[in-house]
Amino acid sequence: MMKKKKIMPAGTKAGILFALPAAIYMLIFVGYPTIQNFILSFKHVDVFTFSNPDKQSFVGFQNYVELFTGSSILAAAIKNTLIFTVSSIFFQFFIGFGLALLFSKKFKGSSFFRGVTMISWLLPVTVAGLLFKFMFASKGGIINQLFVQLNLMEQPLEWLLDPKLAMTAIVVANIWIGIPFNMMLLITGLTTIPEEIYESSKLDGANKIQTLFRITIPMIKPAIMSVLTLGFVYTFKVFDLVWVMTKGGPINATELVSTYAYRLSFEEFQFSKGAAAANILFLILFAVGLFYIRLINDEEEAM
Amino acid sequence: MKKKILSALICVMMVGSMLAGCGSGSGSSSDSAETQTEDSSGGSKTEVVIWDYFETDAQKEMMDQLLAGFNESQDAYEAKHVYVPFSDYEKQLTLGIASGELPDLVIMDGCGMASFISMDLFSDISEADIDWDEYMAGPLETTMLDGKHYGIPFAANCTALFFNKDLFDDAGLDYPTAETTWDEFREMAKTLTKDGVTGFGNAAVGTDEGTFQCLQWLYTAGGNYEEVEGGVDAYKLMQEMVAEGSWAKDCVNWTQSDVNNNFMAGNIAMQQNGPWQIPGIASEASDLNYGVVPLPRRDDNSEQATSIIGGESMGVVNKDDTSGAVAFLKYYDQTEVMVEAMEQYGSFPPKTEAAADSYWMDDPVQAEFIKQLETSIPRGPSPLWPSYSSALQKGFQEALTSAKTPEKVAEDTQAAVDAVK
Amino acid sequence: MTKKEKRSNLILFIVGLIVFIIFIFPLYWMIVTALKSQVEIFQIPTPLFPENLTWEPFKQQLSASGDTLRGFKNSLIISVGATGISTVLAIPAAYGLARFKFRFRKGLILFFLMTQMLPSTLILTSLYIMFSELGLLNTYLAPILADATLGIPFSIIILRTYFISIPKELDEAAKIDGCNSVTSFFKVMLPIAKPGVIVAAVFSFVYAWGDLIYGITFITNPDMRPITSSIYNYVQQYQTLWNSTMAFGIVAILPVILIFIFMQKYIVSGLTNGAVKA
Repeated sequence: MMKKKKIMPAGTKAGILFALPAAIYMLIFVGYPTIQNFILSFKHVDVFTFSNPDKQSFVGFQNYVELFTGSSILAAAIKNTLIFTVSSIFFQFFIGFGLALLFSKKFKGSSFFRGVTMISWLLPVTVAGLLFKFMFASKGGIINQLFVQLNLMEQPLEWLLDPKLAMTAIVVANIWIGIPFNMMLLITGLTTIPEEIYESSKLDGANKIQTLFRITIPMIKPAIMSVLTLGFVYTFKVFDLVWVMTKGGPINATELVSTYAYRLSFEEFQFSKGAAAANILFLILFAVGLFYIRLINDEEEAM
Repeated sequence: MKKKILSALICVMMVGSMLAGCGSGSGSSSDSAETQTEDSSGGSKTEVVIWDYFETDAQKEMMDQLLAGFNESQDAYEAKHVYVPFSDYEKQLTLGIASGELPDLVIMDGCGMASFISMDLFSDISEADIDWDEYMAGPLETTMLDGKHYGIPFAANCTALFFNKDLFDDAGLDYPTAETTWDEFREMAKTLTKDGVTGFGNAAVGTDEGTFQCLQWLYTAGGNYEEVEGGVDAYKLMQEMVAEGSWAKDCVNWTQSDVNNNFMAGNIAMQQNGPWQIPGIASEASDLNYGVVPLPRRDDNSEQATSIIGGESMGVVNKDDTSGAVAFLKYYDQTEVMVEAMEQYGSFPPKTEAAADSYWMDDPVQAEFIKQLETSIPRGPSPLWPSYSSALQKGFQEALTSAKTPEKVAEDTQAAVDAVK
Repeated sequence: MTKKEKRSNLILFIVGLIVFIIFIFPLYWMIVTALKSQVEIFQIPTPLFPENLTWEPFKQQLSASGDTLRGFKNSLIISVGATGISTVLAIPAAYGLARFKFRFRKGLILFFLMTQMLPSTLILTSLYIMFSELGLLNTYLAPILADATLGIPFSIIILRTYFISIPKELDEAAKIDGCNSVTSFFKVMLPIAKPGVIVAAVFSFVYAWGDLIYGITFITNPDMRPITSSIYNYVQQYQTLWNSTMAFGIVAILPVILIFIFMQKYIVSGLTNGAVKA
């Protein structure tokens, strides 16, 4: 069991100083654009008013309202993004965790296996997306070919054409890309657990499952939470993969908020609406961030 | 510890050796038209920067030759071009307008020009010394807004019907012609659909590329991009043929390149595609026995089918001094120059006189495209075209996947199109 | 080891192997596709192993040595730069946020997390204008600065986690030895948090290497573009050269794979040394 930790004396100045350079950097290069984006979403900037700052009037929340009324693509996109993110994270995390546990034990070839697994994450996302688009093709795609040959399916499925299946296809691709990310972070977390703890628990008679749940997981809880939160935020934002595989189709079945925002800004030249859509994404993630902050506070008090 | 130092050293050496190779190459941004460059004869010429998205070897060679020809033909201007990837092109233009980082001349997809004219990217050159009447109406429209001219068309092309002669022979069918009607076309496709082969395929992907192909069916049926309901028969044809299995259902995810790959592999007997595929077929499937005709017409009483005009147009960027850009336009305006460039490019010149050149009229396949070009129309043109395009393409996809009935598709698409204005 | 342990290890190994094979299949498919001809790729059914090995795409890309090497050089410069900025700024920040309790701590952590919440395509425009006004377009600095904006918050959040799990006894021991917060940071914390630092640096590097959008948008000079931009040679307006694209994917990550193999030994030793004796 862990000894109780004493609370550090107030090191406010030191703490802030350590964090200040990074904070200033991010404020300049991300904070400023973010604020500009917010302002843009409250104006009326589209193909006709782009070059004419005089005509770019403030319209308040009008853009947001318009995005949600009628057969709102944005609402559908939010739903899609949630489904996409949650299913991706779920599988990525568990498979990644399993692999981390497996590969953290030193057996023959473990480092080789680990290394090769990383390759899927080293690949540029656009190439990985194209690879999966190609594998999921209805005719000539290897996935259909294999599944039919192995008698797992009777008929080839139209992965990227059927609105109901397209989401599955992009989720599978995303899981594949995300597993190494989870695995690597969790392995590193696992190594911070001292060997002695395992030894003493074995002496106490604990079996593998008990060890896992009572010792391993609690000890890497901070790592787990960071992985899940970061994973959620990054997956929620995913753009390149989906754009390359389906462009948000067929018929908006895989339209995510990120693809919709891009389409609005750079294809339909509705710059303000695109900014508004992106801000919705931001707000949802902000709520997730608040949740994370609350959690780490609780967990740190407990340590 | 030792390993750490060793690996750090090696990394530093790697970086060092790579940096030692060439200079750091920080070029200056190209925003002003008035950069002087020295030419070989020692005088100084004004630089004219051209943006394009040409990526195939043939296209790059064409541009190099064109620029060399222009540079040699006069002493005042030195043209050079900058490649910007196609998929990023319009985004880069938008960023350029916002920041002022722009070239002198832009070669871009014709149907996108209207939006950028609205965004004040281009300059009004209606007064320039160019004979506008020599140009084909369709392509020329893409460079105009409210009756003013902002550039000239660069290349024009359209899609037509490719057919696999061997598959037709095996099925005992006569080849299609410019007079083939929709009913006859449908029968052909049905007969050809067997043994893993689908009768017909085109590109119906959810981007403007899909609209570029599918729109012609709407127009041939009597509709247009603002009056969709007049063309409901197009949706009917699509839906029914897909249901029969004779129009490849995969088309909803196919780009024109995917379609061509399937045509070359013999998976589809007929394809709707453009002349840019010809070099690819020649190199990858040289023994493919194929022909080209204009797309099928509506019925016996109809004229030749419409097709949609594609290709690039050149716009003069809105700056204080546009003389360099206009000089380049005038150079290209010359028929011989245009013909030579287009021969290399594999597309068609937008001037009527140039298109009548024997290079195209004597080639059986190219001549068919010229024929189809005669009844081709541009998309829009409208600054809001991208919104129209996604509304229209959504409708086509709904028809092809039988998500709605043809009548409902027409109704909903009409509503979506009305909402764009 | 008892028989039971041996058996359960074997089962684990086999399960791991199966998962591994399923996982690796797409990579296999990528290599195989890179070696086929365009027509063979679209055959139905397509062969699981190419009948006519086509080395063209690889030959062409590896022998266009000028372009490929230049692309690698550019990617290296950008990645090293971004990683450098990220680690230098992130490590102290993570330390500060882990070890010191101060009022704005939660707020700062949330702030860094928030900087990740907008899709990069939308801060692109502002950054572009900013860089244009600073004259940084078409320099290496632009993508370096942009890529660091992902590396920094990510590194902070992950490193903070590792700094937290370092027992406080070490802090106290360092204090007894006479260190203040800065020296204890350098002499005690940093070496122990090595695995975390390595991971953070690796992630920043790989992310910067794989970045396409910043490299493409801020640099229009083809001589300075990173290797990822070469994808447009094969994914073109009118067609996608599948075999070349797949070959490109492999070629583009070759240097990174080499660095990984090279660093693996170091990473592994770093990981096993990370276990702290109480």
